[in-house]
Amino acid sequence: MSAGATIALLGQPNSGKSTLFNALTGLRQHVGNWPGKTVEKKEGSFSYGGKEYRVADLPGSYSLSANSDEEVITRDFIASGEADVVCILADSSQLQRSLFMLADYAGINVPCFLLLNMADVAEDQGKTIDAKTIEKKLGIPVVPFSATDIRSYDSFYKTLEKALSKDSRINVEELAAQYGSIKGYQDICDLIPENVLEGYSPMWLAVKVLEKDEVVIAKLKNALDAETFGRIEEAARGTNGAVATGGCKFRWIDELLGETVSAGNNTVRLSRLDRIYTNKFWGKAAVILTVLLGLIASFIPALPLMGVGEAVLAVKAPVMNALYSIGCPEFLILIVGDVIIQSFSYIFKMLGFVFGVTLVFGLLEEVGVMARISYVFDNTMGKLGLQGKSVMPFLVSFGCTMGGAAGARVIDNWGQKVLTIALAWAVPCGAAWATIPMLASIFFGPGAVGVIVAILFTMLVHMWITAKVFGGQLVKKEDRYGMIMELPPYHKPKWGALFRYVLGRTKETFIRVTKVILLVCGIFWLLSYSPSGNGGILYSIGVAIEPVTRIFGLPWQLFLSYVASAVGKEGAVGVISALYSGGSYGNAFTQAMSGGADTSNLSSLLLANVTKPEALAFIFAMTFNMPCVVALAATFQETHSAKWTARIVLYYTVVSLILAFIAYHIGMLIW
Amino acid sequence: MSLSEVKENGEALVSEVRGDTRFMSRITSIGLTPGCRVRVVKNDKNRPLLVFSRDTMIALNRKECMGITVEEVTA
Ligand SMILES: Nc1nc2c(ncn2[C@@H]2O[C@H](COP(=O)(O)OP(=O)(O)O)[C@@H](O)[C@H]2O)c(=O)[nH]1
Repeated sequence: MSAGATIALLGQPNSGKSTLFNALTGLRQHVGNWPGKTVEKKEGSFSYGGKEYRVADLPGSYSLSANSDEEVITRDFIASGEADVVCILADSSQLQRSLFMLADYAGINVPCFLLLNMADVAEDQGKTIDAKTIEKKLGIPVVPFSATDIRSYDSFYKTLEKALSKDSRINVEELAAQYGSIKGYQDICDLIPENVLEGYSPMWLAVKVLEKDEVVIAKLKNALDAETFGRIEEAARGTNGAVATGGCKFRWIDELLGETVSAGNNTVRLSRLDRIYTNKFWGKAAVILTVLLGLIASFIPALPLMGVGEAVLAVKAPVMNALYSIGCPEFLILIVGDVIIQSFSYIFKMLGFVFGVTLVFGLLEEVGVMARISYVFDNTMGKLGLQGKSVMPFLVSFGCTMGGAAGARVIDNWGQKVLTIALAWAVPCGAAWATIPMLASIFFGPGAVGVIVAILFTMLVHMWITAKVFGGQLVKKEDRYGMIMELPPYHKPKWGALFRYVLGRTKETFIRVTKVILLVCGIFWLLSYSPSGNGGILYSIGVAIEPVTRIFGLPWQLFLSYVASAVGKEGAVGVISALYSGGSYGNAFTQAMSGGADTSNLSSLLLANVTKPEALAFIFAMTFNMPCVVALAATFQETHSAKWTARIVLYYTVVSLILAFIAYHIGMLIW
Repeated sequence: MSLSEVKENGEALVSEVRGDTRFMSRITSIGLTPGCRVRVVKNDKNRPLLVFSRDTMIALNRKECMGITVEEVTA
């Protein structure tokens, strides 16, 4: 197959870029980060007419200014010539506003074409758009399009080929005339030579100078002699910046559209659902209820895969027995049973949940509910440097941290996404909530309520501090602005596209996390394995460093089950009970992890061996430890950064021990 | 008057937009420029303002709205 062109997708938020990107590339996509940047890079490929095309879904928001790394990366990528053609998307139902991106693009010297997306929505509103006339005026191919309608892709491919073969550029004469009305524009434009910055025309650069675009100004200063630059600065003084140029852009758009759009009936009224979400009193409750219902609903599609996970676990014993009977070496049997089969059981359960959460929360995003959540929680989450949407992963994490991490996908800023996941780890998950009250009531009776309150309070403080610790690096100051965003209209879900997306996502998760989980489970198993059934590396270390762990209030038995709780909280109690009843760590560990540990006489064992302050220390250490291997894998999957995943793990390990230390010493004062 | 002083369901014409470079660029790119007509759909304390303009529902942080001056239009 011969190499085709590279296509860059450009458009304002909600113009349908992701929908188009996913439909074009399907599973052939790769998400990573731009080198050295906290900005996500989405690339993919597709083949058409015997050619292999590359597609880049460019990050960004409403314009090509220097407001954020996203926007600078986007325009530099285009201007650098890496893309052979730029596909600009506009929303036909809000054509005038969404053409702003086209106006801001005009003047960049790369061929392009315009997709008037959401043609179906415009039609429903009774709008008609004369694409042919717009095409004639603009000088680039223009097509009505529906990204969600498979049948309209033929016109996409045809237009793409046309733009490439014609090398089509936007006719900027009229736009330049508009800019000419701004005082100083013409002088600046004349002072900037052609090709001074690759890919940008003097008109485009002059407009950015007027908009006080620091990045462009710095580059011009570098490229031009001091005198010319000084005169440019002089001419730019006292102009009304982006407001003046923005006015020109919209006047140009108005003239371009002229009579080509017949107005439909776009209503201004809030829908009933929006009246609830935007209600002063009920809004927050409605959002929380929506997310919780979503969480419950996501278990339904998750069940089949979770069942597979259970089934995998059920074959563990028979397989191991069979291997025994044919005389397989014990070491191998244990690896097969306790590492491989055990890991796959985790993996399938996790996939079930990832599938469910991605489906349900992908659906909420798709229909537009997520934007309402952003609106309602903007003030609260803004204080942590996050978007309103971050409240969703937090709530989901009360059920399962992995679900929270997977749900954080809807946050479109990479730094804010990583920070959200890092904070979500502080939320005790369902398994922790099963363990906390049980342990607390054994030791503190009715005082358990106090422990739970203390845990919740610690969680809030923990999140607040963690936001301070990581926030500086992850969320730049310029990304901490008040909300200025579109509240898109509700869309009917497109099930086909959604399922394709969710399946692709699940498959990708499977491939990626399998490695992580096998690796981590393998390491833990190796560390706890001992040929004699007694001892093992972890055991020896635990016993050896007991004088140290005691400072944190953890005797070696509790310390080892704290370590086990990093693999899975479910197992922690099983490990304690096995260790205090004289079992070996290696066996206790694997049994507890598969849910088979004996916890029948737990309360008498614990009361006989563990003091109250130690119990309190353990509860805090376990609760705020790394949530589990699966959450770790999901975090790696969503952040695609080994560095950040490792940082978060290390941070949580240290903080949980500090919390144990504090809890222990407070406990010593009380009891 | 400031945009945030317009009552719910009131209509206004944007007369001036002031703020730092960043704010001006962001507010312009979402379509709020001098001369454009807006309708305030929701105006509750402690919540972003909801306005409708150029066929678009826009949520605006209250503090950021301070820089937007409007003239009320009587319907
Ligand atoms: N009816 C309709 N909905 C669309 C079309 N294109 C995108 N959407 C929906 O519009 C919403 C925003 O699209 P998305 O691709 O996420 O926009 P992005 O923010 O530009 O990536 C989603 O709910 C899509 O399903 C279209 O042509 N017709």
